[in-house]
Amino acid sequence: MTVEKLYEILKKYAESQGIELNKDKEYVLEILNGLLTNEKRYGYRSCPCRLASGDKEKDRDIICPCAYRDEDIKDYGSCYCGLYVSKEWNEEKIKHIKVPERRPLEKLGG
Amino acid sequence: MPEQKKRVKLYSLSTCPTCKKVKKLLDDLNVKYELIEVDLLDSGEQWLTTKEVKKYNPQATYPTVVIEEIITEYNEDAIKKALEIQ
Repeated sequence: MTVEKLYEILKKYAESQGIELNKDKEYVLEILNGLLTNEKRYGYRSCPCRLASGDKEKDRDIICPCAYRDEDIKDYGSCYCGLYVSKEWNEEKIKHIKVPERRPLEKLGG
Repeated sequence: MPEQKKRVKLYSLSTCPTCKKVKKLLDDLNVKYELIEVDLLDSGEQWLTTKEVKKYNPQATYPTVVIEEIITEYNEDAIKKALEIQ
């Protein structure tokens, strides 16, 4: 899977969900490279903006699209990583802020 | 260039675009820093480092930048200045 191919697929997937990919394509391609790196490393596309454990069961909630995406888009217009966003976010009708981490603390390692 | 007085550590993920932006900013500012790419550590080191990050940032999100001031003598002015106490 090339990063450009993944971009085309996820763009269509986002549209099918009534959302969009971040209009900053360069930034999106970096995220997608991170997803492909994690796929090679762990066998699944875990969120490149979070530390995965490598245990698929433990990481299930952060496999992209993560379990928090819809709520984050509803509340902030963007997912935690800034990959999936609402139309309003892309049109800058919503203020762009750092999306707080919604993942429960007990899910973190260490 | 004057000697850098503060110690800077960047806890980062090699896959995270925001971490890369912070790295670029520090590089552009010619700041010397210790880069810790937590996702590239082996699992034992990763566990220890996550504990370390949590001391500064309980949610252990990335990037976490730590900027520390090191004072090694009794120097009231320096300590107050570092703590931003008038």
